[in-house]
Amino acid sequence: MTYFIQQMLNGVCWGSILGMLGAGYTMTFGIIGLVNFAHGEIFMAGAFAAYFALHVAGLPFGVAALLGILGAIAIGLLVERIAFRPVRGSGMITLFITSFAASIGIRTLFVMLFTDRAKPFSMPAFLKGAYLIGDLFIFKKTIAVVIVLVVVGALLMYLVKKTKTGIAMRAMSYDSETAQSMGINTEKIIIITFIIASALAGVAAIMWGVSYGRIRSSMGMMPVVDAFIASVIGGLGNVFGAIVGGLILGIGETLFVAYLPPELIGLRTLFVWIVLFIIIIVKPSGLFRANVK
Amino acid sequence: MSTELLLELSGVTAGYGKMPVLHGVSIKCHRGEIVTLLGANGVGKTTTLRTILGQLKPRDGEIKFNGADITRLPPHKTAALGVAHSPEGRNIFGNLTVIENLRAGAHLLKTRKELKEHLDRVYSMFPRLKERRTQIAGSLSGGEQQMLAMGRALMSNPRLMLLDEPSLGLAPQLVKLVADTLTEVNRTGTSVLLVEQNARLALEISRYGYVMEKGAIALEGNAKELGANEQVKKVYLGIA
Repeated sequence: MTYFIQQMLNGVCWGSILGMLGAGYTMTFGIIGLVNFAHGEIFMAGAFAAYFALHVAGLPFGVAALLGILGAIAIGLLVERIAFRPVRGSGMITLFITSFAASIGIRTLFVMLFTDRAKPFSMPAFLKGAYLIGDLFIFKKTIAVVIVLVVVGALLMYLVKKTKTGIAMRAMSYDSETAQSMGINTEKIIIITFIIASALAGVAAIMWGVSYGRIRSSMGMMPVVDAFIASVIGGLGNVFGAIVGGLILGIGETLFVAYLPPELIGLRTLFVWIVLFIIIIVKPSGLFRANVK
Repeated sequence: MSTELLLELSGVTAGYGKMPVLHGVSIKCHRGEIVTLLGANGVGKTTTLRTILGQLKPRDGEIKFNGADITRLPPHKTAALGVAHSPEGRNIFGNLTVIENLRAGAHLLKTRKELKEHLDRVYSMFPRLKERRTQIAGSLSGGEQQMLAMGRALMSNPRLMLLDEPSLGLAPQLVKLVADTLTEVNRTGTSVLLVEQNARLALEISRYGYVMEKGAIALEGNAKELGANEQVKKVYLGIA
């Protein structure tokens, strides 16, 4: 029983990171109407920015976290400028290719510059350690990660549901042409969306660094797939849905691996695809209302 | 009757791909007027509205709004000048609630006070929308969606409203509501360019009309004159 709860907690930690990644991913999906493969690299770039601030420049954790988020935003805006804007309005295939190229390009650049070897990401002192309740370890970092998810999630929901910008974003996701005729400047909204989505990826990167203590150039490759699946689970363009989707995936995947017999451990990556399969069969539009037509 | 020119299209030629849909279209709408654009399906009425809005760029000709050249202006800038649009097929945001749709229409407003005032006005014109304000727009009936599309266009208190087939698919009492709303809206200062297949309705509430055929203006005149015109009567009013 303790083992189960312990793994649940680990799953909540991983799920929070996936939720944060999925939220940003689904926002761009809603607005641009397609998958941003480079979201994983925006996430990775944020982690590296924070890493350099922490380990090379020796800056305090708070500052490093902020720089990590800013780094993610910078790369996100670069991706928008180079991979999306020049081909705005082109067909799905073109956008797929540019998005994929951006992802591979950025990752390869980082591997060339920094290798794919793991780099340490040190935790601030106040997050070290755990509370022991019986046999259960409740890591302080897990509590911190969950708090961040709840706070950022609440702010995000407020933005998306109550503000003029949020309504404009959702209107645009559904019908961008009609949205324009209400005076909504779609180019501006696209940039704002990229900034927010990249910032969320940056937060996810800090959460990752704190939870797992190491980062690498290829760290965005697998999580971006999870972020995509979380978006599908939650309903495309639905930020709350993606957060829930991320938690479902994170908790599910962790429990799956925890109870998998050792000889089948290679099947661990199968889990997310099983979930995707189930959702597509049972409720393809996602658990919550999608924001795309 | 004010003769101040609000909207002017001069020799507008526009289209999609190789073939132009509009050929040298010239239309005038004065301040405080309801002007109607009549014609059969596919003659280019919707294309005309889209070109005014900026969703389509003309290849030739000029469009002026309040004296300013809006020929090549992108849609969001044209909207900011005071042009609102209730599209053919309504195009309400099906993923948003009724009130969120209205708030989307109010995007250009600057103050909460304005937002509340305009919202109250729309609710008083369409009480049904107030009742259903938290309902998801995609689940509204056709008539309710039309009310929402019109209400949404009115939220910015536009100088000019472009309406595309507002009566399409509506029950008679709703058609009357649309007509009454347009008349009321016009009375309070909004000019209207109305595209309608229901020629009888359109000519009843408009002051001036244009009849389009194959992408060009075939006939124009006072609504009364048009209504008495033999061709118009036969083809568009179904009176032999």
